[in-house]
Amino acid sequence: MNAIDGTDRHIKSTDGPPPSLLTIILDTNPFAWAHLSSILPLSSVVANLLVFINAHLASGNANEVAVIASHNKRTAWLYPTPAPVSAHNTNGDSSSRNGAATHTQNANKYQPFAEVETNLLFNLDNLLKTTTSDDLSTTTTQIAGALSTALSYISKSTIRHSPVDPTLLESHALVIDDGNLTSQRVNLVSRILVLSVSGDLASQYIPVMNAIFAAQRQRIPIDILKLAGDTVLLQQACDATGGIYMAPESPQGLLQYLMMAFLPDATARKWLVLPSAGSVDFRAACFCHRNVVDIGFVCSVCLSIFCSPNLPDSTCLTCSSVLSLGGAITAAPALIPRKKKKRKRVAGDGSTPGGSATPLPGNGTPVHP
Amino acid sequence: MADSDGEYIEASDDEYMGGGGSYGTRGHGKGKKGQRGDGRAKNAWELSAKTGLESYKESADGTIGKSIQEREEERKRKRWLVNTMLDAVKMPRRRRSVDLSIYERDPEPGIDYTMLPSLPYRTVSDPPVPRAVLLRKWLRKDTKAFQRGIIRHVVLVLDLSEAMLEKDMRPNRYFTMIKYTQEYVREFFEQNPISQMCVMGMHDGICIRVSELSGNPADHISAIQGLRDPKSSTSKEPKGSPSLQNALEVSRATLYHTPSHGTREVILVLGALLTLDPGDIHKTIKSCVQDRIRVSIIGMGGRMHICTEIVSRTNSGDESGYVVATDQELLRELLLATTTPPVIRSSVPTTDGAAAPAESGASLLQMGFPSRVIEDVPTLCACHGNLTRGGYTCSRCKAKVCSLPATCPGCHLTLILSTHLARSYHHLFPLRNWIEVSWQRAREKGSKQCMSCLSDFPEPPSSHTENAAESLTSAANGAVAAATSHIIAANGRQRSGDDSNEDELATASESFRYECRECKSHFCIDCDVFCHEVLHNCPGCLGGAGTRNDEESADTEMNG
Amino acid sequence: MSASTSQALDYLEGQTQITHQKLYEQPSTALAVFRCMLPHLAKTIVMAMLYMPRAFTIGDLDHWIRANSKGEREKAISVLQSLHIITHSQESSKSLSYRLESGFANSLRQALTGGGNHKSFGVPSSTPDKNDVDIAFLDQFARKQWEAILYFMVGSTSGLRDSTGLGETVGNGTRKLLEIGDFVTRANHGTITKTGFTFLLQEANAQVWSLLIVYLKQAPELGMNEVDVLSFIFMLGSLSLGQDYSTATLSPTQLQMLEDLNDFGIVYRSSKTSSRFYPTRLATTLTSDAGALQTTSTTFSNALRPSTAPGKGYIIVETNYRIYAYTSSHLQIAVLSLFARLSSRFPNLVSGKLTKDSIQRAIKLGIEARQIIDYLTAHAHPQMQKNNPVLPPTVMDQIRLWEYEGERIEATHGHLMKDFSSEKEYQDTLGYAESLGVLTWKSDQKRVFFVDRLEQISAYLVSKKEKR
Repeated sequence: MNAIDGTDRHIKSTDGPPPSLLTIILDTNPFAWAHLSSILPLSSVVANLLVFINAHLASGNANEVAVIASHNKRTAWLYPTPAPVSAHNTNGDSSSRNGAATHTQNANKYQPFAEVETNLLFNLDNLLKTTTSDDLSTTTTQIAGALSTALSYISKSTIRHSPVDPTLLESHALVIDDGNLTSQRVNLVSRILVLSVSGDLASQYIPVMNAIFAAQRQRIPIDILKLAGDTVLLQQACDATGGIYMAPESPQGLLQYLMMAFLPDATARKWLVLPSAGSVDFRAACFCHRNVVDIGFVCSVCLSIFCSPNLPDSTCLTCSSVLSLGGAITAAPALIPRKKKKRKRVAGDGSTPGGSATPLPGNGTPVHP
Repeated sequence: MADSDGEYIEASDDEYMGGGGSYGTRGHGKGKKGQRGDGRAKNAWELSAKTGLESYKESADGTIGKSIQEREEERKRKRWLVNTMLDAVKMPRRRRSVDLSIYERDPEPGIDYTMLPSLPYRTVSDPPVPRAVLLRKWLRKDTKAFQRGIIRHVVLVLDLSEAMLEKDMRPNRYFTMIKYTQEYVREFFEQNPISQMCVMGMHDGICIRVSELSGNPADHISAIQGLRDPKSSTSKEPKGSPSLQNALEVSRATLYHTPSHGTREVILVLGALLTLDPGDIHKTIKSCVQDRIRVSIIGMGGRMHICTEIVSRTNSGDESGYVVATDQELLRELLLATTTPPVIRSSVPTTDGAAAPAESGASLLQMGFPSRVIEDVPTLCACHGNLTRGGYTCSRCKAKVCSLPATCPGCHLTLILSTHLARSYHHLFPLRNWIEVSWQRAREKGSKQCMSCLSDFPEPPSSHTENAAESLTSAANGAVAAATSHIIAANGRQRSGDDSNEDELATASESFRYECRECKSHFCIDCDVFCHEVLHNCPGCLGGAGTRNDEESADTEMNG
Repeated sequence: MSASTSQALDYLEGQTQITHQKLYEQPSTALAVFRCMLPHLAKTIVMAMLYMPRAFTIGDLDHWIRANSKGEREKAISVLQSLHIITHSQESSKSLSYRLESGFANSLRQALTGGGNHKSFGVPSSTPDKNDVDIAFLDQFARKQWEAILYFMVGSTSGLRDSTGLGETVGNGTRKLLEIGDFVTRANHGTITKTGFTFLLQEANAQVWSLLIVYLKQAPELGMNEVDVLSFIFMLGSLSLGQDYSTATLSPTQLQMLEDLNDFGIVYRSSKTSSRFYPTRLATTLTSDAGALQTTSTTFSNALRPSTAPGKGYIIVETNYRIYAYTSSHLQIAVLSLFARLSSRFPNLVSGKLTKDSIQRAIKLGIEARQIIDYLTAHAHPQMQKNNPVLPPTVMDQIRLWEYEGERIEATHGHLMKDFSSEKEYQDTLGYAESLGVLTWKSDQKRVFFVDRLEQISAYLVSKKEKR
């Protein structure tokens, strides 16, 4: 009889773990890879990555994968292959699309694996071919764009998978056919894995931070596998979103790192002891020289961080407000004694919570020091 | 009086329905305000009508004899007026059926019904609005980079009077308010991590302090919880009448010493329809204005004239800070709406001629960005004297504090995580709204999939079917909007032109595509919502789509 | 791992090590076993060990897996061991370690990298088919065949068989198979049995597995090689829908199977001599859960549910126990009539009521309350699906209460553990059993307890004895 209560009314439609979407951001910055090529060429990383993707797909029947390249000046989808954007010559397009999508059935390969592999290699090849010397003018990578794209993709996939919400049913019908909606009642679990080789991402501070907060809100862990370069920003991303940060000492063993640390999805991570990042550098980069500072000066209007209080014309470089420099030194110390006083005053109030709380002229207002 | 009331309500209703779901547009807004102003001219309470309306009237018809400077001023005012109106529009997030007819039927003398619905409610008879329009409506927050008060000092005043025992919310107003306030505090500090808050209650004629001014949400939440927990010593049952004057005076005293670079705000949740004051509340209002305290009030049940006056005077004529919650869902939304940092006004013309001090004394604040340390042996923290294993060491004096943000107990340096600052950036550098895409434009771009989520767009119809559709009267509205958006898209980056039109285009796109004006990428409605509500980035611009290079787009990020 | 594959797992666990080793020679089988037979944590462990240069010591494993998820770990390891995927080995004098069985590891690596030349993922036909068939046709074919089997079973109770001629198309082989599987009895012109009801109310995927396992058990009698049969089934699960495959590389056993599978609707062949075959959706979803169907195909939301429109629920249950079913399918009406009192029928609608009598009749037939609730939930109308929980709680509770009325005693198969030498030993073993979740009853006073699975406990006791 005990079984009859509210607890077991929520019958789960599937008893397996929820499907998991793994979004991989592959940093394809040519400079960094050229630097790494002696230790670990891009080709072998991609080969390892494909095995990893296959392992992920095999780990859950409904698992999905998406791969985004974060290149020098742009981000590009590696998998799934986007439809080409051009309306005029549809014939040419379809042929090139078919080139990406079709592949000879290989009896030695599991079909879904083969599909990912063909598409990914085709798109990567395309990306590297279309990289012009003009693209190489910057040495950093578009990690912010890749993160934003990944997050949007995940958010859309989550909507697609989400259990039926009566208030949203009508609304989402626009984009999703209802067959999907009604039958699948499990949530998608997503995560992002960034395979990073570039350092110096300070120029993308704000967009990356926005992406981190978005991931935090959506509870999407961002895992970082750092093969080269070093950046505080990505470490903070891991820390804030509860992801795994790893900078392997021997990048040759990449596959084992991937399989051991990054393959477990959210379901499995509950059972595992995860590698911890240890201490995280939370220092900020100043907006004026991109220096990493531990004591900075912050504009009260736009929160820009500067490394020295001596700004030209005493105006903020970002928002052009005129800033009083005196405040920088005096404001903070001046604030504290007042606060302390107030606390005392209220402690007195607390004992007699009656009439004294009603301000009387001259009584409720503490004297300005 | 009754006539004018009816007229007003009718007018607003008509305006609303006539707008075909495009409420909150500037054109309509003008008409509405104008009408209201005209209607008011007959009424006795016109005396206290605020300058905001007058100046608005001026702007509506004042095309003659204005100096350039005046016009410039007016342009600025329009911008924030539109903005604040939009804020009000943004609030009713879902369609709700509010029967306005009761207000027309029995106007009770003495209560100011004319002030009633300033929010554009949908009535039952209205045609349903397509979902995309609704979604986009939510998004219509202003994306121009306003100077916002990021460092806020807020006093949240809760009504603990017997009016809160009303059961129009479940289980009653009091419990509902307590529940939502806790959620509100959490969200507030999520959005404004470097702000300070203080909670007070209006209980039996006096104003009691529930929690101290502090930046720690846990303090406030537990204090608010203590209010309703019968075992707690601070437990308070709703009793007596509220006093707005006392509340304002105590708030003023609390905010008196806050530094000038932050805002001073009072947010009142008021269930009662009366205030029992010991003295002249108008004097209190005046001193609040002088101390540049901004008051916003969330009422329940009905509007009170005195509230309008308080809000209007402390917000330099802008009444949109006074809103009334008709049900608990709306109460929650209205509360959460105040978590967005307020816009800073450059100079505040006050009605009584008293020169208000500058709203914001911008200054440069010294702050420390400490690193987290993990220790093997527990050590004492400087803030509480507890033994802890980890924490943050002050960048200047190396004292250990256990949580951030905090003020270093040793050297009084403000310690903060850079992530706390970064959390506020999207208020300062908002993502510009995306525009609707006409079929023609869609064909031109040939976009087939959403740029970021790769979901397919519907194929553009052949051109002659589109023309047929456009000739239909039902589609006329959408076609106009689409045509406008196309013109804008064609005009490219004409900033000023765009900005003025931007807000009128809160309609669904006929081609289900939405275009970012910077990178010309097309997105679906879900990504539009996600990018503007959560992400605050444009995947297209950051992903190097379009012709702009990343230095430029980085600049746009910074300057909005 | 879903409920549908758990019976397959039970079967597989019962096989010998030699069978397992032979099975794992095929990469497709290794992959399929990995994908659908292993618990989630076991997958994680296997993947971590797959490319590990040395053995995984137990100490490392303990460090890696959190202390509070011991139960999960034990379950994973026990499944892996019973399937002979990992083996114990004595690495050095003191540390025990686990090793992946090399055959399995090699095959799985091959499957992941796509290397080798084993052709185990099906050889597509090299020539285009003259009479090509599309996916819709395959679905229709599969549904027709499978529903015929279901009709055959259900027809006996509802009295529909004679009037509509349902189930007549079911071949003799299939009939025999159903009898062997104890789904129907020959007596009384083939009456459905208790297990048959259970079968009927399962989802399609689980039904297919149930039938295939009966088929497997029977395979040696028909002179078929069990390993061949198994690996063919697993191979079918990794094929893609709508693609034709060549029969050239199949063994004689597998060719023989094709005919039977064609009868079930699992594969389609245009004729018995055709050199190509098409797997249907029943086949391609064998090794995946229902969830996978969303990703592989957006047009179909579930494997052939016995319903008129695939993936669309059709039943509405009201709080007053009335049910309305938008269907004209005899099969669905027959299934409903098993546990509901149907009162009126319209061209596209049947209405009735869940009554105490109807539910208890169903329970007497051997249907469990849980099955009824699951069935109603799974086939709920889209309008109902919006509710959470899908069915009205009152109805769910009442169905269960009606079941409990007849069930004052619950029987569990298992083992009684008694005669512990000390309180400490009793508490220790008890704690272990509890952490495994196998404990059903205990009496601290008498120092006895009852478990429903013994294997891990006995292994634990043995290892404890060794330590001493």
